[in-house]
Amino acid sequence: MNTLGSEERDALKDSVRRLMSDASTEAAVRTVMETDTGYDAAVWKTLGEMGVVGLMVDEEHGGSGFGPLELEAVMEEAGAALLCSPLLASGVLAAELLNQLGDEALNERLLPRIATGDCIASVVLTGDSGCWTQQGVAVSAKQDGDSWVLQGRGSYVLHGQNAEVLVVVAKTDDGFAAFEVDPSAPSVTVAPLPTFDRTLRLASVDFDDARAVQVEARQPVWQAVKRTLDLALVALAGQQVGGTQKVLDFTVEYAKARVQFGRNIGSFQAIKHMAADLLLETESAISAARYAASCLAESSEKADEAISLAAFACADAYVKTTADSIQMHGGIAFTWEHPAHLYLRAARSSAQLFGGSNHHRENYLTAMGG
Amino acid sequence: MTTSVNDETLREEVRQWLSENWAREIADELESEAPTHYTASPALRSWLGKVFDARWSAPRWPEEWFGRGLSNDQAKIVEREFAKVKAPGTGQDRVNLWANTLLAQGQPGLKEKLVGPLLKSEVNMCLLYSEPGAGSDLAGIRTRADLQGDEYIVNGQKVWTSGATTADYGMLIARTDWDVPKHDGISFFFCPMKQPGVEVRPLRQITDESHFNEVFLSNAVVPAENLLGKPGSGWRVLNTALAYERSVMGETARGSRGGTGLGLGAVTEAQPLIALAREAGRLDEPHLRQQVAQTISYRRLNALNTARAKADLAQGTSSSIMSLGKLAMSRILHEEARLRTEILGAESMLEGEDYPQAVDANFLSLNAYFTSIGGGTDQIQRNIIGERVLGLPKEPEVDKTIAFRDVKTGVGSG
Ligand SMILES: Cc1cc2nc3c(=O)[nH]c(=O)nc-3n(C[C@H](O)[C@H](O)[C@H](O)COP(=O)(O)OP(=O)(O)OC[C@H]3O[C@@H](n4cnc5c(N)ncnc54)[C@H](O)[C@@H]3O)c2cc1C
Repeated sequence: MNTLGSEERDALKDSVRRLMSDASTEAAVRTVMETDTGYDAAVWKTLGEMGVVGLMVDEEHGGSGFGPLELEAVMEEAGAALLCSPLLASGVLAAELLNQLGDEALNERLLPRIATGDCIASVVLTGDSGCWTQQGVAVSAKQDGDSWVLQGRGSYVLHGQNAEVLVVVAKTDDGFAAFEVDPSAPSVTVAPLPTFDRTLRLASVDFDDARAVQVEARQPVWQAVKRTLDLALVALAGQQVGGTQKVLDFTVEYAKARVQFGRNIGSFQAIKHMAADLLLETESAISAARYAASCLAESSEKADEAISLAAFACADAYVKTTADSIQMHGGIAFTWEHPAHLYLRAARSSAQLFGGSNHHRENYLTAMGG
Repeated sequence: MTTSVNDETLREEVRQWLSENWAREIADELESEAPTHYTASPALRSWLGKVFDARWSAPRWPEEWFGRGLSNDQAKIVEREFAKVKAPGTGQDRVNLWANTLLAQGQPGLKEKLVGPLLKSEVNMCLLYSEPGAGSDLAGIRTRADLQGDEYIVNGQKVWTSGATTADYGMLIARTDWDVPKHDGISFFFCPMKQPGVEVRPLRQITDESHFNEVFLSNAVVPAENLLGKPGSGWRVLNTALAYERSVMGETARGSRGGTGLGLGAVTEAQPLIALAREAGRLDEPHLRQQVAQTISYRRLNALNTARAKADLAQGTSSSIMSLGKLAMSRILHEEARLRTEILGAESMLEGEDYPQAVDANFLSLNAYFTSIGGGTDQIQRNIIGERVLGLPKEPEVDKTIAFRDVKTGVGSG
């Protein structure tokens, strides 16, 4: 793994920020979010060329070979700009699950194309329950001669409708196994799900005795899944704090500009004190996200605790900040044209994406021995 | 003179010194003596004396001021080694409010006299800021100091003065000029407490303790060399001192009733809330588990913020996160105490030595106000964060530009 010094990491973050200020403006987001695919192919290509899509793919497979710290930093920028892209689906979830499973032949074939963005991959893990736990898996696999057949339904599959390859986690008679599936194969039905957060793309995938190729795993599959989810949670936390910071910034700016009763509304304590409380939430969430990334990068024994903490602290901070932001703006933020609701939608959905805050609080307590 | 030393040699030197001087018996002695909040016990003083003689008290300061002229990073090496064995006394160049204020603003004679003893906790201190008519609005103080020859004569009343009964000096703000706007006429002093002109009357607190007091100043005498900064620049000195106090309050708070607040209290259980819920047989209740996790996260997040702020400072960027600590700590203390009470349930109605957990929960519930009112209330902290960190406009201040003589203060004068 390549770990950058903090200055180089800042430089990487800056380069992503510059791209976002060009390519993921509010106007661009509003256009892209109404398309079927939900991402801009040209921007996706650029992200591939910059090495952002292949951040988590090692150099030997054509990626940048970076780690959680760099990923978290990049995701802050993506989150701030509400970037519409399959980055989390393909560059994080799928790439990391493949890394963790370690099927060399498959990785040689897929990872270089994932790294450039040429191939979009996604992971099918949870079903209609939306629980990213063992109980949540609703696809089962049975051996049929030399090959396998899958039965059941996966759901909340990130960018499932755009994926060229699906990595499916399924239950077998001997525990969990992972499979490579071509979504266009017969007996596989991919259906886009309508999403509240329009910058998000989710799909369901039904398997009706679909043929699948087993992915070789050099560690127990659920362990590979767990490690992948750890990284995905760090990435999501980064995305959330990026969004949180951005919303706080434009809310404070508005409080300095808007005048009522002959003075700036930011001089009213009812507004000022909300802003001060939001700053505490925001800074705490940033600390939590970066700490989780560093624990994961160092494989610290505190990683489980730190990741669970970040998962609920960042999700809750994002939801609170976006929700309060609308209140602090007044009527203007109740209009479709104002960006506040785009962030509120992103915050509310991201807070459920890999399990809700109660779930992560429970994991946090368990990780501390409680 | 500052000699440079490499990190490894320094670390070795601290370790060596600690292994020769810091012994379990000292730790036990320090704990068993349960010093009060405002004075150091003889055992602690004697330990601090050793730390001082070895120049570990304030390693960032120059040798002239008992330090070693170390960089921040190297001083942290020293602090880390002390922390590893839980020995107190180093890093006072960061946390000793009194010595820092004096060193930065004091006159040579007073510095000569007091900086050393302050590092050794040989002199006790208190804060003579608040008055009956001036709390949040500290610039509204009415205590006056009039220069007569080479002495200031002080008259007025202070209140909520913690530790005044044992104090040798108080950091005092008093008005020296009544014809300028309120912030411009204040001066800052080290006021000797043991003198006929100073009368201290203890107040009984809601915790049934008596740490804070009323202080009556009647022709109290303060040598002119005890003035910090220039006459009339007291507001600035005060704000530096307050920032110190608040950042310390954001990192530490008193634990149980017997606790010291000096960072010496025995922390036996890493997560006391988990232990408490387990002992009460309630750790499997889902709604409590959620609250325990949430409450623990507040303290954890504050520690992470502090660590990030310090890393920022070490890199030279100023840290706005620092000002969040006190507000965060106030929520931590109130929420922890509330949850303790909820876990205990009916038992929290009881008192006395047979119910130590109830005593803790109730004490902590009350003492949380020390942090949410003392040193500037939560509301004032939010104003400061909103205005100084986020840059939001101030409230209109009706009395900012008029001569203090014409300003109204206190209760019911409207
Ligand atoms: C345990 C304890 C120890 C203390 N120790 C010391 C000490 O050692 N030395 C010392 O000098 N002082 C000490 N204090 C005093 C403390 O600093 C003051 O109590 C505090 O600053 C508040 O002042 P006040 O009590 O006059 O309340 P007030 O200022 O009258 O405040 C009353 C209420 O009005 C609110 N309020 C006031 N102004 C504003 C505003 N501009 N915006 C919004 N809300 C506002 C406050 O938040 C509060 O809720 C101590 C206090 C406590 C509780």
